[in-house]
Amino acid sequence: MAQLKRDRPIQLDVSGLTIGFGGIQATRNVSFSVREGEIHSIIGPNGAGKTTVFNCINGIYHPEAGSIRFQDKELLGMKPHKISRLGIARAFQNIELFRGMTVLDNLMSARSFLLPYGMLRSALYLGKCVREEIKARNAVEEVIEFLDLQPFRKTPVGGLPYGLQKRVELARALSMNPKLLLVDEPVSGMNQEETEDLARYLLDIKEEMNITVLLVEHDMGLVMDLSDRITVLNFGIKIAEGPPREIARNPEVISAYLGEEGIQGRTEG
Amino acid sequence: MNSIDTTFPKLLMENARRYGKRVAMREKFRGIWREISWETYSKKVERLSLGLSEIGLDRGDHASILSENCPEWLYADLAIQSLGAVSVGIYPTNSPDQVQYILDHSQSRIVFVKDQEQADKVLEIHGRLPLLTKMVIMDMKGMRHYDHALIISYQNVAELGKAVAARDSEAFTGRVRQTRPDDVAFIVYTSGTTGPPKGAMISHKSDIHMIVKGLQPILHFTDRDSILSYLPLCHIMERNLSMCMPLVFGYTINFAESIETVPQNIQEISPSFFAAVPRILEKLHSAVKIKLEDSTRLKRFIFRLWEPVGIRAAEYRMKTQRPPLPLIFLYALGYLSSFRPVRDKMGLLRCRCVMSGGAPIAPEVLAFFRSLGVHTVEMYGLTETCGTVSGPHRVVKHGSVGEPCGALEFQLSADGEILLRGDSVFTGYYRDPEATRETIRDGWLRTGDIGVLDEDGHLYIVDRKKDIIITSGGKNISPSEIENRMKCSPYIKEAIVIGDARKYLTALIQVEYDNVGNWAQNNKIPYTTYRNLARNPAVYELIRREIEDVNESLAQAETIKKFDILDKELDQDDEELTATQKVKRKVIEERFREEIARMYGEHSTSTGL
Repeated sequence: MAQLKRDRPIQLDVSGLTIGFGGIQATRNVSFSVREGEIHSIIGPNGAGKTTVFNCINGIYHPEAGSIRFQDKELLGMKPHKISRLGIARAFQNIELFRGMTVLDNLMSARSFLLPYGMLRSALYLGKCVREEIKARNAVEEVIEFLDLQPFRKTPVGGLPYGLQKRVELARALSMNPKLLLVDEPVSGMNQEETEDLARYLLDIKEEMNITVLLVEHDMGLVMDLSDRITVLNFGIKIAEGPPREIARNPEVISAYLGEEGIQGRTEG
Repeated sequence: MNSIDTTFPKLLMENARRYGKRVAMREKFRGIWREISWETYSKKVERLSLGLSEIGLDRGDHASILSENCPEWLYADLAIQSLGAVSVGIYPTNSPDQVQYILDHSQSRIVFVKDQEQADKVLEIHGRLPLLTKMVIMDMKGMRHYDHALIISYQNVAELGKAVAARDSEAFTGRVRQTRPDDVAFIVYTSGTTGPPKGAMISHKSDIHMIVKGLQPILHFTDRDSILSYLPLCHIMERNLSMCMPLVFGYTINFAESIETVPQNIQEISPSFFAAVPRILEKLHSAVKIKLEDSTRLKRFIFRLWEPVGIRAAEYRMKTQRPPLPLIFLYALGYLSSFRPVRDKMGLLRCRCVMSGGAPIAPEVLAFFRSLGVHTVEMYGLTETCGTVSGPHRVVKHGSVGEPCGALEFQLSADGEILLRGDSVFTGYYRDPEATRETIRDGWLRTGDIGVLDEDGHLYIVDRKKDIIITSGGKNISPSEIENRMKCSPYIKEAIVIGDARKYLTALIQVEYDNVGNWAQNNKIPYTTYRNLARNPAVYELIRREIEDVNESLAQAETIKKFDILDKELDQDDEELTATQKVKRKVIEERFREEIARMYGEHSTSTGL
């Protein structure tokens, strides 16, 4: 299923990413690149720096060195909201939704930054505003249909079961019309069936919506099934990168996952 | 004798002429109900039909439809029939093996599938289906990269047909004109509580005859009616309601977004006619009960205050009598403060009739709907009689399935079995002359159901002939009646009464996970899974109380002496339920042999009531 798409242009290019907190080096000289239209996964044991990489791409953390280029635009130093306007959306591991608002309202507000009118116009609800609202609702409905959220349009998010909230979180990110979707541990805390559903959705996002997916996930089965390419981090250092079949055979990766000391494992591998 | 001289495709063309731009169906798409006119309906069928002819479907061939309800289901159904071919519906919940059985047995050359989920099932088994040449996919989402000779998209077929229609505008009309009333229109595979499903062949003539002569005097449809289509279309009941009857009466069908959104969709549409299987009505009934518990004291008080008034008024209405003036007055007050808001919440505000069919239902559930002022009828029918045998024509009686309909000759055999004869009896089982001979003997269709007629000619169904329990004490007992009473409890989802050739009756119970879970939460009882919940002694106690309540209304020999809660949910995939969610008694009695033995003290531990 997973084919390499070498011919596709590079969409996101991370190089030499280094960031530390106090005395701890969270990532050291991490480089990898994501091609358009692929599912690229970042894996690694706890504390390997996966979420840190995401936070750097989002502009939440400011790396000490390195560069992150998205469609040939440098992201470092850019404000998070500017980055999201470029077409990078993120589905958070800890669901970031307005719990008291309905699913529909959450998704509509996710698009608010795309709306080209100000407060005055929206208060009067005239002309352009109406047209844009309709356009936004149409796009949101597309996402609702895509993720089978029809029964929950008017349900407050706080009242939904956990697995569904995660799906709404994904829907919120998708509603932003992204080119690149960052997905942080989408199946943590989900049961087998929910995990399978989510895998299906991620594949459909890639194939039907043509959105590049950068995935951080612990569920190795899911990662191996879905990914076109995998980057493996351990203690903030990239130890491997390649298609799933190669990664599964890589002795360094295996030793990192078996809990042996990853750095030492390098010399053996 | 004005015999039926038309076919479904002919009716479609006539309706397109007569109604033109009037709404034939609505489908919710991106949150908005979109309307489809009769003209469009007919046009879509025309293109698809000609397209099917292009890819090799011809008169007498068979084609299957494996999909949830949607307009394309109906287009496909009628497109197949327009070619003089036979259409076969398959439950979208069927497993690949079950799908294979029907595709193979029906000798289908073409299969329509809704989406990737269904397509994957067919791809898994197509190697064992030499006759299958094409799979037409309605929704290509997620399938762009599939590369298989079997696959063709619905769009492509329709385009092929469009090209043909552009060359020859009379092509479709010509094909439709060749369809004959005696042709088999479709095959309905019965759910098969025993053995594999059987394919009942239904002709245009027998079904239309049933609709006009049998159903209409009971249900009184007009072209102003509107219904929600949500039950599986491959079942004769929904097939009639969504495909056949709109063609005859011209009413509007609304497609539910998905089975999960049915409650919301009913509320949005507020259909004028609501057909349901017992399971759905039981669920609506218990939802009101549960919601009431969670609501404010004042609301609960108001509901209880008016309940007796509703019940009293319903008694008069069922007899088609006018209630006395004070009652009319009280009812009006009750309507404003209680019945109307409850009906509004359920989406039954505009509903002129609720119909229950498909399986026997507890009369208490129907009485609840009647007490809200909704005309509620229970009908009885078989696939083999085009869906209907009887229904209340004017007077409605508690627990009765009404008078035998005018489309069939009705007779009770010496042992009480219901026998039927007439134009609306099916053509036979496909590729099973043995079973056909078994069912139709000396010209009479044997239903296998035991019935009783009262002095006014109202029919009461006792039970399936083969399900009747004869205890070792020699008592004849109808298990389904007792089971349905138990299922009235919001905490009991499924009950299977056991006791054939035994000293006393026992029951296997499946609890209603949602409601019992809710109850457990309110009572601070921790649980993790269904299994864990089912084994909790407090839940056992809860069910014991519910069964005791039921026992009080039963004769001594009919009471349930012991019971056991199943620690798994019955599932179609495990062959315990049919596609219509009916329990397969034999399978269950076999599978839970140990539990049953325990209840009869055949093992050391037993749990008494």
